[in-house]
Amino acid sequence: MNNEQLIESVVREVLNSMEKGITTKSTKQTSSNSNISIEDYPFGKKIPDKVKTHSGKKLSELTLEKAINGEVKNDDLKVSKETLDMQAEVAEKVNRKALADNFRRAAELIEVPDERILEIYGALRPYRSTKQELLDIADELEKKYNCKINSEFVREAAEVYEKRGRLKK
Amino acid sequence: MRSKRFEVLENRPVNQDGFIEDWVEVGLVAMDSKYDPKPSIKVANGEIVELDGKKKEDFDMLDSFIAKYGINIENAEEVCAMDSVKIARMLVDINITRDEVIQYTTAMTPAKAAEVVSKLTVLEMMTAISKMRARQTPSNQCHVTNLRDNPVQIAADAAEGALRGFDEEETTVGVARYAPFNALAVLVGSQVGRPGLLTQCAVEEATELTLGMRGLTSYAETVSVYGTEPVFMDGDDTPWSKAFLASAYASRGLKMRFTSGTGSEVLMAYAEQKSMLYLESRCVFLTKGAGVQGLQNGSISCVGVPGAVAGGVRTIVAENLIAMMLDLECASGNDQTFTHSDIRRTAKNLMAMVPGTDFINSGFSAVPNYDNMFAGSNMDAEDFDDWNAVQRDLKIDGGLRPIKEEEAIKVRNKAAKALQAIFRELNLTEITDEEVEAATYAHGSNDMPDRNIPADLKAIEDMMKRKITGLDIVKALYKTNFEDVSNSLFQLLKQRAAGDYLQTSAIIDENFNVISAVNDANTYHGPMTGYVISDERWNEMKKLNNLVKPEDF
Repeated sequence: MNNEQLIESVVREVLNSMEKGITTKSTKQTSSNSNISIEDYPFGKKIPDKVKTHSGKKLSELTLEKAINGEVKNDDLKVSKETLDMQAEVAEKVNRKALADNFRRAAELIEVPDERILEIYGALRPYRSTKQELLDIADELEKKYNCKINSEFVREAAEVYEKRGRLKK
Repeated sequence: MRSKRFEVLENRPVNQDGFIEDWVEVGLVAMDSKYDPKPSIKVANGEIVELDGKKKEDFDMLDSFIAKYGINIENAEEVCAMDSVKIARMLVDINITRDEVIQYTTAMTPAKAAEVVSKLTVLEMMTAISKMRARQTPSNQCHVTNLRDNPVQIAADAAEGALRGFDEEETTVGVARYAPFNALAVLVGSQVGRPGLLTQCAVEEATELTLGMRGLTSYAETVSVYGTEPVFMDGDDTPWSKAFLASAYASRGLKMRFTSGTGSEVLMAYAEQKSMLYLESRCVFLTKGAGVQGLQNGSISCVGVPGAVAGGVRTIVAENLIAMMLDLECASGNDQTFTHSDIRRTAKNLMAMVPGTDFINSGFSAVPNYDNMFAGSNMDAEDFDDWNAVQRDLKIDGGLRPIKEEEAIKVRNKAAKALQAIFRELNLTEITDEEVEAATYAHGSNDMPDRNIPADLKAIEDMMKRKITGLDIVKALYKTNFEDVSNSLFQLLKQRAAGDYLQTSAIIDENFNVISAVNDANTYHGPMTGYVISDERWNEMKKLNNLVKPEDF
């Protein structure tokens, strides 16, 4: 490399780092415990043998024939916690942290029955619940269903609702 | 004496429209109100303690939520201090990638985002949309409804809409109790027209979620958020209840997006003196913070308000762009009717149609105007051929294609028959051969015989009590010799177990490939990059039904 090329290369490097200054510090990736990569997406086509549904069946085992003869139940068609966590990892890998957080809250909520989900949603609407009622829901989510993130979320709502006068009067 | 010229002009459709002068004090102003806060942010100990001129102790619910969840805190102070014109230029600069710009735009405050887009002309906004929309391939959504909630007609119209190229179909109700039938009809009809299409039924939040849980819909959209706390309360929700709902949907493997739009706050008289765009910007940040993959915005049901003020349509384009800047799927409105003028509605729709968005209309009415239960749309079934001609004139992909009359009749008939079979198999109400015939050839509900509404409502109640699910529909279709439709529906149900279509901007093609902003991320950076219309697609778009060929002469 001659001198001119060297100088040019250095200048480019410097300019590049100046321009990219803001980008570099926020593209760090969250650590993950499985080996999911972007290449595995979409799971349904790429890794149907690795995706288990809520009942533990593999996605690849679910066929129309089995559905017709009754071997596939509604529970077999539900998404599993593991799958949502894997989707959260995909979202993180494309820098969508808020979306990943939502998938993780969702992963917890799989165990909460449909009716109870609807009731808790109702209780979170304005003026529906006392602070204690919201705190009880948070405890229930944590202890009965192991929903740690969601329970914190409901506790936070209770604080904000109290501050803003949105609790049951 | 009157000028004859002015008399003629007075009678033009545009002069039936309402136009209003800005009234800044009540928030009847598109953007840049003198009462809008100046962008500001302070971070202390990893927490936002000042946001757009407000200290933490003065935060309302929306500020608290946005400060905690909606802003990429790492770069926030740096971006807020940057010149807004510089960021606006980055949005249109083809030499700066979308990925890089997103690092800035997701670190903004709501006031900063509103300020940045206010520096752009609509032409620049359209260029920015080409680059910033999340999914590379543009798409479109339609409404399938009718005045009498006739399920046979819904199934037939859904099938035809699917054939015409829509990737999502949305129904709603005239009578609320009809929701399950409408959801079932649009689901079955859509899969007859084109396997893999996603459907929804826009009704009250809890009902909408129940329909999704039962497998009668594949996604939800009408989950509304608002830009001020009092209006949020009027909407009977909080950011926390809405975010919980978002997680509830994802926990059942269902795609969902929020809905918001300029004008809702001033219409509900709680705009707190702020401009429509600033308040909408707060909605977009709130949506981002809730971790929802996307947003339907572009004023939507309040479009009359921005439609009437100066620069209102520009503001609508700007709010779509803010959604994309926050890396959200954007279903860009062009939905409810806002004008009597064909010229105005076309001009407005071009703002999204030319650059292409995740869903250009949300939606395009696949039924005649009088049957549209979302108060009419900017584009109706009567406009199908105009749309196809504009696509062909400008070589832009608006998501539709010309279809042959015989193809439409065929899928409409099959959809009506499939629904008839399901109704019989599941002991719902009778669908007569006369109704199937009418739906096959109908344009709208005026062409349909009356149904026994009390009997339908009783059957719907029974269907919900028996907890009929998507799997029951799969079996009913199979038993009645609609194996192909049965299989499509089953493949669609499997999608929720894979979770792939929960990712940003997902649609599903006819072979059940999920296409989203993960595997079809927008890479536009100037001419001949990003989405380029393939030869195959261009040939399909070009073939209008009434083409004259040179050899005909």
